[in-house]
Amino acid sequence: MLVGSAVITASSLAYFDFDTLPPFVVEKLPVRFESLWLASLRIHVAAASLALPLCLLLMTRALQRRVALHRWLGRICGVLVLLVLVPSGVVLSFDAKGGAVVTAGFLLSAAIIAWFMVRGVLAARRGEVVLHSRAMRHVVAQMSVAVTSRALLLGFDAAGVDPDVAYVVALWGPVLASAAVAELVSLRTVPFVRSAAQFFERIRREFHPLALVVRVRSLARPHVRLGR
Amino acid sequence: MGQWAQRRVEDGLVKPLSDAESHRFSRSRPPPRERRVRVTQTTATTDKSGRSFVSFAVDVRFGSEWSENDIVGCAYTGSGDLYVKRGDAYRPASFLLGKNEGPVAGVCEAAPSRS
Repeated sequence: MLVGSAVITASSLAYFDFDTLPPFVVEKLPVRFESLWLASLRIHVAAASLALPLCLLLMTRALQRRVALHRWLGRICGVLVLLVLVPSGVVLSFDAKGGAVVTAGFLLSAAIIAWFMVRGVLAARRGEVVLHSRAMRHVVAQMSVAVTSRALLLGFDAAGVDPDVAYVVALWGPVLASAAVAELVSLRTVPFVRSAAQFFERIRREFHPLALVVRVRSLARPHVRLGR
Repeated sequence: MGQWAQRRVEDGLVKPLSDAESHRFSRSRPPPRERRVRVTQTTATTDKSGRSFVSFAVDVRFGSEWSENDIVGCAYTGSGDLYVKRGDAYRPASFLLGKNEGPVAGVCEAAPSRS
């Protein structure tokens, strides 16, 4: 995923050459609000080239162990995603090629990212690590669509699939699949959905049997207090 | 006239486009497998400034089927200038090769008849 992100960043440098127009821009123009669209595209590309690698790094155990660094990089990533990446992506989505179906796909992906980023930040502030992890998995999964979608487009091109059909499938497929995979991975990491034996083993480790005995005994034969 | 226009579009647009295109890791449309030029007029038309042009269309093929009118435009018979239609306006064909060229007013539009 990091390699894919690096390749996208390298190929996106052409967007910052103001004298020439890259093929994607040539294909899109003219659009309704050309200046806004071009500015949004450049902002989106710049934000994504930082946000995706940053999010991937934040998912590593090495960075999660360094809590203070993880927290600060997470804050930067959250601001970048919520205030730059998602708004610029929403602007671009309304002129997406493929019409309303593709616009809806991009908007759904943006909504998932924004929703789970907010939930993830709130969960982190409350110290709910499991909820935070689940939310951030969804964010990274949707951001990974940028890579998987382009890989699918190359595959469809090699197979001779019509580019208009390929574009729709290569967007909606990864958006839905990424959401499903993020949810499945999150479910697998929650302890109570594992086997019942593991669940009771975890309870047994948490509560010492002696503590239970003492508690039962105190209920069955409570000490009579003085003065009663 | 038709053969001249076809050769002009192939040399001035189709070949440079093919040379510039590659399979990128991008959301841009992949290059077509094949392009063909059709000259859609048998005789030249005169525009408002008195220059004559011939209209053309470029079809593309990605899989087995041809998609018509992927590019439409006109070739000026005197200068050999090529223009392509983007939206409602015509721009110099070099726009498709990445040059930031704006629309040119009045080109590829037939002058009103004198009757």
